[in-house]
Amino acid sequence: MFLRKSIIATSGLFLCLFLIVHLSANFILLLPEEVAREAYNGYSTTLRESPVIKVVAYALYASIFFHVLYGIIVTYKNRKAKPHRYVVNRSQENSTWTSQNMGLIGMFILLFIVVHLANFWARVKLGIGAPVGLDSAGNVDVYEVTYSLFQNIYFVLFYTLLMIPLGWHLDHGLKSAFKTLGFYHKKGLAVVSKISLIYATIMSVGFGIIPLVVYFK
Amino acid sequence: MLNAKVPEGKIEEKWRNYQAQSRLVNPANKKKLKVIVVGSGLAGAGAAATLAELGYDISCFCYQDSARRAHSVAAQGGVNAAKNYQHDGDSVWRMFYDTLKGGDFRSREANVYRLAELSAPLIDHFTQQGVPFAREYGGVLVNRSFGGVQVERTFYARGQTGQQLLLAAYSQLNKMIRARKVEMFTRHEMLDLVVIDGKAKGIIARDLQSGKIRRFAADAVVLATGGYSRVFRLSTLAIGCNGSALWKAHKRGAFFASPSFTQIHPTALPQSSEAQSKLTLMSESLRNDGRIWVPKTKGDTRKANDIPEEERDYYLERRYPSFGNLAPRDIASRAAKERIDAGYGIGRLKNAVYLDFKHAIERFGMETVNDRYGNLFTMYKKITGIDAYTEPMQISPAAHFSMGGLWVDYELMTTIPGLYAVGECNFSDHGANRLGANSLLQASVDGYFILPNTINNYLAQALKEEHETTEHPEFSKVEQEVKEHIDHILAVNGCKTVDHFHRELGKVMWQECAMSRNKSGLQKAIGQIKKIREDFWTEVNVTGHSNELNTELEKALRLADFIELGILMCTDALDREESCGAHFREEYQTEDGEAVRVDDKYAFVSAWEYSNGDFKLHKEPLDFEFIQPSVRSYK
Amino acid sequence: MKVTFQIWRQDGPTDKGRLKDYEVDGLTEDMSFLEALDHLNELLVLKNEKVIAYEYDCREGICGQCGIFINGRAHGPHANMTTCQLHMRSFNDGDTIVVEPWRAQAFPVVKDLIVDRSALDRIIEQGGYISAKTGTAPEANSIPIGKDVADKAMDAAACIGCGACVATCKNASAALFTSAKINHLNSLPQGKPEQHRRVLEMTKQMAYEGFGHCTFTGACEVECPEGISIVNIAELNARILKARLLG
Repeated sequence: MFLRKSIIATSGLFLCLFLIVHLSANFILLLPEEVAREAYNGYSTTLRESPVIKVVAYALYASIFFHVLYGIIVTYKNRKAKPHRYVVNRSQENSTWTSQNMGLIGMFILLFIVVHLANFWARVKLGIGAPVGLDSAGNVDVYEVTYSLFQNIYFVLFYTLLMIPLGWHLDHGLKSAFKTLGFYHKKGLAVVSKISLIYATIMSVGFGIIPLVVYFK
Repeated sequence: MLNAKVPEGKIEEKWRNYQAQSRLVNPANKKKLKVIVVGSGLAGAGAAATLAELGYDISCFCYQDSARRAHSVAAQGGVNAAKNYQHDGDSVWRMFYDTLKGGDFRSREANVYRLAELSAPLIDHFTQQGVPFAREYGGVLVNRSFGGVQVERTFYARGQTGQQLLLAAYSQLNKMIRARKVEMFTRHEMLDLVVIDGKAKGIIARDLQSGKIRRFAADAVVLATGGYSRVFRLSTLAIGCNGSALWKAHKRGAFFASPSFTQIHPTALPQSSEAQSKLTLMSESLRNDGRIWVPKTKGDTRKANDIPEEERDYYLERRYPSFGNLAPRDIASRAAKERIDAGYGIGRLKNAVYLDFKHAIERFGMETVNDRYGNLFTMYKKITGIDAYTEPMQISPAAHFSMGGLWVDYELMTTIPGLYAVGECNFSDHGANRLGANSLLQASVDGYFILPNTINNYLAQALKEEHETTEHPEFSKVEQEVKEHIDHILAVNGCKTVDHFHRELGKVMWQECAMSRNKSGLQKAIGQIKKIREDFWTEVNVTGHSNELNTELEKALRLADFIELGILMCTDALDREESCGAHFREEYQTEDGEAVRVDDKYAFVSAWEYSNGDFKLHKEPLDFEFIQPSVRSYK
Repeated sequence: MKVTFQIWRQDGPTDKGRLKDYEVDGLTEDMSFLEALDHLNELLVLKNEKVIAYEYDCREGICGQCGIFINGRAHGPHANMTTCQLHMRSFNDGDTIVVEPWRAQAFPVVKDLIVDRSALDRIIEQGGYISAKTGTAPEANSIPIGKDVADKAMDAAACIGCGACVATCKNASAALFTSAKINHLNSLPQGKPEQHRRVLEMTKQMAYEGFGHCTFTGACEVECPEGISIVNIAELNARILKARLLG
């Protein structure tokens, strides 16, 4: 039991760290196009070619995989532990909706990740779909991939709206991860709880506004 | 003539002498001996766990869904011990004297001394078992004082001392369940005792979940079934508490001692409606810092906070200046009843008095009061919706502890060889009134320390005899009787509920056999209860079957026994023409309403024998060798 | 006052069970919720019907035997309260009150509103004690215990074992119950010698009984009559880690 939850928590925390790096880089997209294109493509090329990042990338795939796998296993087991539901259940009076529905929210995020990987990773790394050109500096023009994607209002909405469940998931997930891994300092936990909310808000809003900014650029 | 088997010697040496002379059972032989323990409270669980540790084969029974529910859990205030940690002049002797005096000199000296003697090691024991007793910042144990004494010898774990002690006993019991030395039967209720050749050899119990009647054989039976104050219906006891095991044992030959000695607790929450099922106790420890009062004017309708200081009657402080609000329970209850009966009662039904913390909050500050009583205040608010920090609590006397119970000798054995009674269900230590925080003590000491040292003396003999099995014809005979009894109740098919009769019984008992009693009232009560019994057996309706979980049937079986027990209680109260402790006969009082004890005629324990529906009195004379009974004054 | 109870009736573990409506008049605000059910049962007896089975014992919030899911909440609409402490003044005249048994795989329904919570006893059986025999104790004051330590142990030890934490948890996790007992004993010097074994065996039994994982919804600490903090579960996790590494 403890092992399963620890895997979810550890992988989740790793993904949280990753999101910080990911968002920081994505803020490049908010810059004016002439600066942004070069910087963004340069950055993504550096990432693709660094051996350190390769290792990190595998850790990332593993984290996503185990986070999802154990998320599903734990949700399944938890449902089995409660086979009969109450006819009336006012769980909203004793807990948040988010905390009651992490599995469901996780499904939305998984859906997002699949689409997101198909949009970028599959095109840039696997070469599936329309070929990606090079920019003036000779780097793969990932900026163009992003820019063209966010000309489509449906993708903009998809990318923006799904950042809402991401925020919920991160808020509950981050503070829970600390408790799961045995952090039990009472005042510390109150701080963690606040940090989780701030972190989740930054991630959710940060990732959420980028498609909109790009769309209206 | 009843032989209490009190050992020879000076009072300080009796228990040591006993242990030195008692027969023992070889460790290898202990596992061949089976002991049944009925009840899983402090006395029962403590006895079951300790006997199992010694090596005996134990079966333990409780009617609840878990051993952890037993009503020891509800004791709030604390447990007394003569540790003298406070350096305030306490000693085993003083505790012995306080307890004997608190019981108005109607208990057996040797037993009471042993209780005081074993109190100190009990605190060591529970500390070792992980009870989180209250501590000073320096890490040592804290004490507080309780009614009827002038030293601080009460150990406590917030307002949940009983819970913490019980959970320690429950834990230890579980340890032995895991070791497969105790087999636990939850949701099993003992319905009769099996006596073979004059010795207790087993019980008949009903599996409350399936309704099945089951036989259990053993070499000895220990009853630890608690008090029977639910005979009053409204009491501080758990709803399931009952006197059936005692009553069945009584009918099989065990003498019932001082059945009418019932403690009425002064600080319970008042009754507010006819439908009420329970009177919640507020710990007596509240009287340490709370002050009890009623308005000086009859029928004052003002709110408590609107009544100025000079118009309040702090009647306990007025009548008993040296003990004040810490007067013993019987005295505090009677004083409350006196004020309420005189028309000074407060609350909606004018049946309560105030318990006020205003002065304590002014003196010690909110924080200290909260630290000491916080959970009791929370509990009060949950039940009444009133904040006791800002307005006084309303309290009222309620039936509480049974000092009476099965008669036991120094070894805690009843008059049936092989049948023991421990904890509240025996009569032994409290005389006519129990001091606060002595009941957790007695239950624990009986179960942990005394019984495991005395039962060997009997079992050493039992080892040489044949072990009876449930195949013995006596088992089938008793089982048949139990089944017929159940079928009889189910067959009445009348038009009234069990609770209806329980309310009727409770009213009679509360009216005539509670805080004050008199001859004509008791005589009338016996007639009334007999009528209730007759009506019960012709008009009660118990729906459902016997072979299923049937809570209504459980209640009916318990009530049938309560009704008969009520008759015995009134008979006992009628017979004892004196006032002592909780037993206050109106005919025997001084001009200012204090009790008058009649030592030359009633310095004995009344032990009643059941004989064909009637009761025969036996007397165990109380010879006070070491202490001279005095007039019990708390003025 | 008059209310309509919708009460779960189930004859036995194998019966399917259903909600049944009971309109009850003549209740007063002073009545406790259980007294209202008592009243209903008396009416049923007078109509020659089988009574509703529900559990209770002390009726003062300490024994932990009562436990009903009332209008979508464990022990009714208030936080930190037992069923027996709930009074009818918490409802309005004309209300419909839905009354269900605790739900969890590990708490099978016995009858109507009664469930079998012996799984909690079996968790305690695996180590919720200090292995010291009667008669082996040293002088109580020979091992000083700081007030803060004793207070913290007491906070956890206050658990009444009612199972509301399991009932309200969407995962039917018994983590709050188990952590309370472990933290009580492991924080005291007397409990230290077998601390790791206690942690490992009690949590193993908890999983074996079919309770779910804790996902920190926090519902348990709201419904816990003793207000036992969910931080206990975090502390338990730290103890598990420690026990796995050192035990």
